[in-house]
Amino acid sequence: MGLNHEEIRALAQQLDDAARHARPIPMLSLSSPLSLKDAYLIQRAAILLRAQRDERLVGMKMGLTSRAKMQQVGVHSPIYGHLTHAMRLMDGGTLQRADHCHPRVEPELAFLLKRDLRGPVSPAEALLAVEGVCAALEVIDSRYQDFKFTLPDVVADNASSSRFVLGSVVQSPAAFDISNLGMIMERNGVTAEIGSSAAIFDHPARSLAALANLLSEVGESLKAGQIVLAGGATAAIHLHPGDHVRLLVDGLGSAELRVA
Amino acid sequence: MEPTMEPEGLESLAWMLWSAEVTGEACAPPREVAESLSIGDAYAIQRINVARRLASEARPRLVGHKIGVTSEAVQRWLKVGEPDFGALLSTMEVPSGGETPMRGLLQPRVEGEIAFVLERELPTEGVGVADVLRATAFVLPAIEIIDSRVRGWDITIVDTIADNASSARFVLGTQPVMLREIDPSLIGMALRKNGEVVSSGAGAASLGNPLRAVAWLANRLGALGERLEAGQVILSGALGPVCPVAAGEVVEVQLGARWRASARFVE
Repeated sequence: MGLNHEEIRALAQQLDDAARHARPIPMLSLSSPLSLKDAYLIQRAAILLRAQRDERLVGMKMGLTSRAKMQQVGVHSPIYGHLTHAMRLMDGGTLQRADHCHPRVEPELAFLLKRDLRGPVSPAEALLAVEGVCAALEVIDSRYQDFKFTLPDVVADNASSSRFVLGSVVQSPAAFDISNLGMIMERNGVTAEIGSSAAIFDHPARSLAALANLLSEVGESLKAGQIVLAGGATAAIHLHPGDHVRLLVDGLGSAELRVA
Repeated sequence: MEPTMEPEGLESLAWMLWSAEVTGEACAPPREVAESLSIGDAYAIQRINVARRLASEARPRLVGHKIGVTSEAVQRWLKVGEPDFGALLSTMEVPSGGETPMRGLLQPRVEGEIAFVLERELPTEGVGVADVLRATAFVLPAIEIIDSRVRGWDITIVDTIADNASSARFVLGTQPVMLREIDPSLIGMALRKNGEVVSSGAGAASLGNPLRAVAWLANRLGALGERLEAGQVILSGALGPVCPVAAGEVVEVQLGARWRASARFVE
């Protein structure tokens, strides 16, 4: 027996308030039994609240795409969240620390879709719907106290997504192999994390296909023009005022942000 | 960096490590047997066993060197500020795509690396990245199979140096990569075990850039009166976390998009 419509809306409101006021709340699962299905309903209800404030949906993000993270959480499937236009930061733009609870940033790749993409699809078919791929930084910021949560909690919380930056070099995956791109994330000129795009679900295209397939289970699909963040290639790093974070990706230039 | 211990002491520690490898029974950490063991002593022990191997029946040839302790994480673990090195002998090479017998290995682990193959010798002092670029014929994707003759990998920097920098076997890819084709600090490395990515990273994981690791080795060997020679193979340091390996597993390294080497571990 899942939560009823009113309960779902109330929990979405709690998370939306926490995000808007940068005031972390206790995990929802502490007070309500939460299934994964309920969690996605809460996530969608919270996105609806954003839509009522004229936030437009611009894409989706994948989370828990690395073997290490899936083992940590004890799951076999990645999770997804929604991206709105208000979450976009320009390349080199500034993030206000005060707008966040406890922000961290991780190095990713982003897909820019030229065609609708409906699952079930294989990674090869998914790539055919991609216009371009670019470097991306994703700022994650759990709306829960101490950045601690269960799997349904983090799903309800839009997979912790908060802001994203796309790099300014775009390559077509038809001519550019994205399976194993080296990635270096620097903070204030010092290397903080080193990884490869191979850590993203063993191949970033597998992450994109998995997203299309997860969405098809609930009758949804990806749309032409949408952005898909494929998942983190390394651990996330904490963000502090004054930080300048730069991600370098082999063949894809850089993506940068500053923290005020 | 001269040894401080008496030759007999060095000889007996070398014999302890040699016996561990031959019998397959790991030994106590050398630092516990000789408490004052210095880094100079440790390299002296390494040299004794390399000489012993070169003189052994199989008549191996010295084909190059490995550089170890090149990542920040491992330097922190071993509480040191610089890498170490060991010798590569022809008998340690295993063909890519072939079988790697577990026989003779005690507690092996695998790492993905870039191997440099030198076209000419390198100078012995003041060596920089430009010298390394000029002297390199090409690089290859490589799997280094490391092993410790010390029980439970209970090692400090002197233990691993004495133990030939924990080297054991290596696998080289067979498609040469020209350095002008790649960015050595940003090239991706993925290590798969039975098809799943178990370790990944990029060139920068070795001293910020593998070219710097090779330059370090040339200078370090130069200070000891040795040099890197034309034709030698240099394993330039792990580009991602190290992974244990067991019989029945297939390990593949991918360097960048196109370059690979693999090893199948058998009993």
